[in-house]
Formats: sequence, C-alpha cells, structure tokens
Amino acid sequence: MKLDHTLPLEYRSEENSNRIFGFWLFLGAEIVLFATLFAVYFALWNRTGNGPAGHEIFEIGPVMIETFLLLTSSFTIGLMINSMRQGMKKPAMVFFAITLLLGLGFLGVEITEFVTYVHEGATIQTSAFLSSLFVLLGTHGAHVTMGLLWGIGLMIQIGREGFTLDTANKSFIFSLYWHFLDVVWIFIFSFVYLKGLM
Amino acid sequence: MMKKLFPVKHVMGYVFSLILSIVALSVVFWDMPFAVGMVILLVCAAIQMGVQLILFMHIGEDGTKAALYTNIGYALFVALVTVFGTLFTMIWGYR
Repeated sequence: MKLDHTLPLEYRSEENSNRIFGFWLFLGAEIVLFATLFAVYFALWNRTGNGPAGHEIFEIGPVMIETFLLLTSSFTIGLMINSMRQGMKKPAMVFFAITLLLGLGFLGVEITEFVTYVHEGATIQTSAFLSSLFVLLGTHGAHVTMGLLWGIGLMIQIGREGFTLDTANKSFIFSLYWHFLDVVWIFIFSFVYLKGLM
Repeated sequence: MMKKLFPVKHVMGYVFSLILSIVALSVVFWDMPFAVGMVILLVCAAIQMGVQLILFMHIGEDGTKAALYTNIGYALFVALVTVFGTLFTMIWGYR
C-alpha cells in the first residue's frame, strides 16, 4: 500500500483520502435533505389550525441549554481529532467520551421538550405547523441518535486497536458528521426557535 | 501540555461560536424590526457555519480543496433554491 507520510494518519492511504472525500459528498446530500425540511417548515409555520403557535410553546431556556451542549460537543470532538493527530490516545478517548455524553444530554433535553409539547396538546397530528416542526427536529434528533450509536461502536474499536489507518480514518469522518449536525442545529436554533420567539 | 490538548485556534473558535449564539439570542430580547432581526440571524448563522467548516472540519487540507468547495457550494446553491423557491411559489406568490 502506498502511504503519503506528509499527511495525517486518517488521510495517509489513497483509500482513506477517498473515504473522507466521499463523506463530504454525502454531507452535500444531507445539506439538501435538511433544506427540503426547512422549506416545508417555512411554508407551513403559520398554519397552526386549532393548535398552538410557535411562540406559545417554544421556551428559550431549554433551547439555550441544547445549543450550549451541542456547541461544546462540537468543540470537544475537534479536540479529540487534535489529540489523535498528536498520537495521544488517552486524551482522545476522554474527549470522545465527553462528546458523546454531551450529545446524550442534548437528546435528553430535546426529548423532554417533545414530551412537554405533547402534554400541552401540541402533537405531530395537531396542525401543519407542528407536523413540519416535529419532522424537522426529529430528523436532526435521529441523526444525533445514530451518531451516538456510531460513536460508541467506534470508541470500542479504538479501545481495542488504538489509532490505526482504519480507526483514525473513521474517527475523522465521525468528527465531520458531528460538526455537520452542529451546523444544522445552529440553523434550527436561529430560524425555528429565535425567529419563532422574535 | 495544556497547549497541546487545547490549541488556541480551537478555544478561540469555541468562544467565538458561543458569542455568536448570544448575539443571535439578542433578537428575542430586544425590540427591533423583523427585517433587522432576520439579518442578524442570517449573518450569525453564516459565520457559525464558516467557523465549523474551516476551523473544525479542516475542509480540503489534503489537496482536494477545489473539489470540496465546489461540492459544498453546489449543495448550498440547491438548498437555497429549494428554500427560496418554495417560499416564492407557496407563500409570496399568493400575496
């Protein structure tokens, strides 16, 4: 196998570089997926029928906590890659674990929010606004959930094998995915919650 | 050791993204015209995306920069056409 030692471990073989490139192409498709969900939400956000409007159910407190948790987890996964590139396995594993715990915290707050909405009579069937809201938030939340499962599997593999061509490559790709979810959240935070409460 | 674990660039990026979130939050607490609020939200979100893309995701560091920017640029173009095309045909067209 031809290895280019001027590059970080995760890019070193041609297969590794191609995998990272391919994942960027996938993220391009993900951008478009979320764009369609945002488009539906923006078209339907004031079609509230007999249900509540956004500013009646949105609460800024939990939303700020979610934003803080996700921004911090995006920071810690960046630190994880930074440690990995310097060959420090232990700090990398600690940062990885913190990232996943913050992601779990985010999910916990989001699920609590959903339960609160449903208790207030705002379910996915109540109005067009709520259908589009739950689908948009739910798709993002499902991505975070998948990321958690993926991350746990990856941590087990790194624990067993250390950082190899394969595990370093997978970790870097995971970090791209996680940063991407943070960017999507920024748009949900700004154009669903803040705009709704403005 | 602290510098190796917490590079200045990452810490700055993190602090910057927190500040941007708080600036965006101001649209809820300060009375302002809708258009001004939307501009603040759009600018903050765009900068946040840039921070993540360039600082944390290291886009195109292995010499695939042109191809990756083309891909992400095209995806953003399709995204904007989808969102504004929908608004144009479903909302603004009926006013």
